[in-house]
Amino acid sequence: MATRHDIAAPPAKEGGAAPARPPAKPTEAERRRRARLSRRWQRDLKWSPYGFISPFFLLFVAFGLFPLIYTAWASLHTVELTAPNDMQWAGLHNYTRIFDDEFFWNAARNTLTIGIISTVPQLAMAMGLAHILNYRLRASTFYRVIMLAPYATSIAAASLVFVLLFGRDYGMINWALHYVGVGKIDWQNDKWPSQIAVSTIIIWRWTGYNALIYLAAMQAIPTDLYESAALDGANRWRQFIHVTLPQLRPTILFTCVVSTIGASQVFGEPLIFDANKGASGGAEHQFQTLGLYLYEQGWVNMHLGRASAIAWTMFLILIVIGVVNYVISRRLRASS
Amino acid sequence: MRASTRTARRTVVLAAVATLGAGLLAGCADDSGGKSDSSGGGSKGKTTITLGLFGTQGFKEAGLYTEYEKLHPDIKIQENVVERNEVYYPALVNHLTTNSGLQDIQAIEVGNIAEATQTFASKFVDFSKVAGVNKSDWLDWKWQQATTKDGQTIGLGTDIGPMAICYRKDLFQQAGLPTDRDKVGQLWAGDWNKLVTAGESYKKKAPKGTYFMDSPGGLLNAMISSNQDKFYDSSGKVIYKTNPAIKSSFNLTAKAASEGLTQPQTQFQPAWNSTIANSKFAAIACPPWMLGYLKGQSKPDAAGKWDVAAAPKAGNWGGTFLAVPKSGKNVTEAEKLAQWLTAPAQLAKLFSVQGSFPSTPGSYTMPLVTDAKNAMTADAPIGKIFADAAKAIPTQVIGPKDQIVQQGLTDNGVILVTKGKSAAEAWATATKTIDNNLEK
Amino acid sequence: MTTTLTTPVGTAPKESRRQRRSKAARAGGTLHAGPIAYAVLIIFSIGSLFPLVWTAIAASRDNNRLAQTPPPFWFGGNLFHNMNVAWNEANLGKAFVNTTIVAGTSALTVVFLSTIAGFAFAKLRFRGRNILMLMVIGTMMVPPQLSVIPLYMMVAKLNWADQLQAVVFPSLVSAFGVFFMRQYLLQALPDELIEAARVDGASSWRVVWHIVFPAARPAMAVLGMLMFVQSWNDFLWPFLVLTQNGNPTVQVALAGLGRGYTPDQSLIMGGALLGTLPLLLVFAIFGKQIVGGIMQGAVKG
Repeated sequence: MATRHDIAAPPAKEGGAAPARPPAKPTEAERRRRARLSRRWQRDLKWSPYGFISPFFLLFVAFGLFPLIYTAWASLHTVELTAPNDMQWAGLHNYTRIFDDEFFWNAARNTLTIGIISTVPQLAMAMGLAHILNYRLRASTFYRVIMLAPYATSIAAASLVFVLLFGRDYGMINWALHYVGVGKIDWQNDKWPSQIAVSTIIIWRWTGYNALIYLAAMQAIPTDLYESAALDGANRWRQFIHVTLPQLRPTILFTCVVSTIGASQVFGEPLIFDANKGASGGAEHQFQTLGLYLYEQGWVNMHLGRASAIAWTMFLILIVIGVVNYVISRRLRASS
Repeated sequence: MRASTRTARRTVVLAAVATLGAGLLAGCADDSGGKSDSSGGGSKGKTTITLGLFGTQGFKEAGLYTEYEKLHPDIKIQENVVERNEVYYPALVNHLTTNSGLQDIQAIEVGNIAEATQTFASKFVDFSKVAGVNKSDWLDWKWQQATTKDGQTIGLGTDIGPMAICYRKDLFQQAGLPTDRDKVGQLWAGDWNKLVTAGESYKKKAPKGTYFMDSPGGLLNAMISSNQDKFYDSSGKVIYKTNPAIKSSFNLTAKAASEGLTQPQTQFQPAWNSTIANSKFAAIACPPWMLGYLKGQSKPDAAGKWDVAAAPKAGNWGGTFLAVPKSGKNVTEAEKLAQWLTAPAQLAKLFSVQGSFPSTPGSYTMPLVTDAKNAMTADAPIGKIFADAAKAIPTQVIGPKDQIVQQGLTDNGVILVTKGKSAAEAWATATKTIDNNLEK
Repeated sequence: MTTTLTTPVGTAPKESRRQRRSKAARAGGTLHAGPIAYAVLIIFSIGSLFPLVWTAIAASRDNNRLAQTPPPFWFGGNLFHNMNVAWNEANLGKAFVNTTIVAGTSALTVVFLSTIAGFAFAKLRFRGRNILMLMVIGTMMVPPQLSVIPLYMMVAKLNWADQLQAVVFPSLVSAFGVFFMRQYLLQALPDELIEAARVDGASSWRVVWHIVFPAARPAMAVLGMLMFVQSWNDFLWPFLVLTQNGNPTVQVALAGLGRGYTPDQSLIMGGALLGTLPLLLVFAIFGKQIVGGIMQGAVKG
């Protein structure tokens, strides 16, 4: 392990900081060598970051950029999936029509409600779970495997199970509720029950995922922070609030951002919940999210141009949310 | 401690590099390997023919591949199957538009055939020009479905879904309705309204907890399919809103739904399966393949309790075509295989194995069809009943977005009536949805 | 309020009182979990595992039994039969090999590239750092459902149809991974360590190799697991590119089990179960990696 140096020694020489005696007058060769090393050093400092990020960006330019440009270009045209080369210029028509598109706004409202119902409990539970898993446990590997089991379960299996659970006449949840005196809930057809059901599937699928991310981050919190907190008299709860949470802030930010983006794009779970052939999110589109609407317009109805515009509008909405968030947090920080 | 982590790290790195290398090498090296497998000249001088299918064909299960391979020792057949057409068709579209990833034979469902004929005709072999193909081997309306305006036929028909009404003899008897199939057919011959009337009589004395029909969607589907015109007119214009036949079918179904004659559910969902298993409805619009569903979902004691009566008017539900992309590597061999698979003898065999009804009238006189029986319907001569229905099906005008319109009318339309909406409200929701989906 | 004193079994009993107290005072990694914690874990485990267990139950039945209500809650006898048929019909052996190559390459490469990029964004200073990071996050904001269409056009031009590289290469781009590692390293990699290494004359690459990778180990394990599963379970793109008789991955191969007008649900579940088992194995192996990094002992006075 690297030894710690309290004093900043000149970096020119490899392997040591403590000067034994004043150095002899450097020879010409020695001076040139040192200059070359320092130049290499500076070059390394200046260019190595670009070296580290360039593989990602190169791959992105190769495989990620063209799809983005293509969908942006397609969004400005009327074009169908069956003839993608047959593009007719439509300008911003695909975007302006969204204002009048009641299905879009219905999907947007649904995305908001489903997003809130599914994301907030999910992240809170994930944090709690990670905290528990951070203790010394018996069979800890078993629990770590379990955590990702929902994420690993195939969509086919999961969809079958959940549709069975939430069936109106024969579903297991209604059967259980029956014993508590609650009448049959039409999970697939009523608005709020269907959204709660879809949110439940989302929570089931992604909580362990986020818990694992939190757990990894918790592993990196130095134990002496907990020690000093404990010596100061903090109990476990206060240690959690004052040590764990602040240390985890970058990771919490990460999960919030990624979960927000994910919630805005969700389409797999509503798709499997509606076993109909189309992707309308229920007979009255009661649980159709923006992601599902996008899927319906693009893949079921074959409207490539319209769907691309919907995709980029979703992007713009996220940008707006991000900007608003940024402005608000700056105001808060400025005022505090 | 340090040494062991360093060795551990080294091992992980070595494993990583090895996998990475193997992965990239395998990927790059597969270039020639993978291609030759799927494009003939693969195994010992044999030509491999590939079929892209969605889940309902049954060629392999009926042993047809083995039979053909025995007849042609230099041919090997492989298929690429996915269950749902909603997954199969968009992938096919992508393959067609990029001319890449196509199989030697591609199946096309009847719901997509209109779009395929109108948009992709140039990419498929024109079977009307292929030697040995006789248009008269197939039902005329079936052949027409795959034919463009200028006479190009892009697909050979395999199965069709001529509809009759399958009904539970025991439930009908308990409700005081006749059980003999001819008498039942007489109840509603020629007029769908009479079917609804029969449903009303059923309801009066129905066994508790049962409905007359399985779903509003199934009923609406059967009605719409039995009309001459559907959603498009011959010039290609969408007319579903103005076509009086559509509106009246919708209203009639809505009436049946609001009176509680149809089970308030959509088909092909686990809940629907359960209603079959628990004998919750007495009648269902029934193409031959529906018998397979009934058999698969029913409890053993339901065998023999069903019978088949002629529908008020015959219509078609379902069906497939086999098309051969021009850009394939083995076009001639693929053409031959497609012809063989759709020959009357083979289609008759398919019917006996899995209930897919042949679209070739030549099969109707074969013993496999005339003597066909199904466990659910005991002695009913299903071969004859469905053959009669098949011949009575009108030649409908089909359009590229038929499926979207139909789904809108059933899944976003009549089903809402069972939730308490009026027929007018349901129609409004359906048309709004459909119009939005049709708008480019 | 004092925390309970727990002495781990088998350690040397002759610790000073101060040592014992400080050990007990640590929350997190060294305290034992209480009964409430176990209760929560068990409830959570049941909820997480239930669909998977039900898949196994369904796979052990036959189609007819599955359609009946109430659905079966216990195992039948068909499990091995269904799994066997599924294995052969879907040619799962080949699919497993292919998918291991694809998912393994993808996971390892993404982890490696994300770690170095995340390190650069987190700890190195360079022009354009913030803009580029925002761009990385920005690319995640475009919904990916439509990307397969132009991507397939590219693949067609490159003649990569039915080749594994068509599935591998697009999966190597992961903005999620870069963002994740950046946030993790911001928190988990103390600047002093990097400083110290610099002072010793380490080049950036040496810093990455000797400081960053060990520090990032838990996150790398988690990212690797997530990427592996994502790649293993991916269906839409591989189905577009690969064929079952060519070079299928597991999900593509399993899609072929749904044949016939009435697909055999028990068989499909058997295939799904088989497809999930390797993942559980991977979790067990990688789960062990999620332990405290070596960093925990490094920055001490």
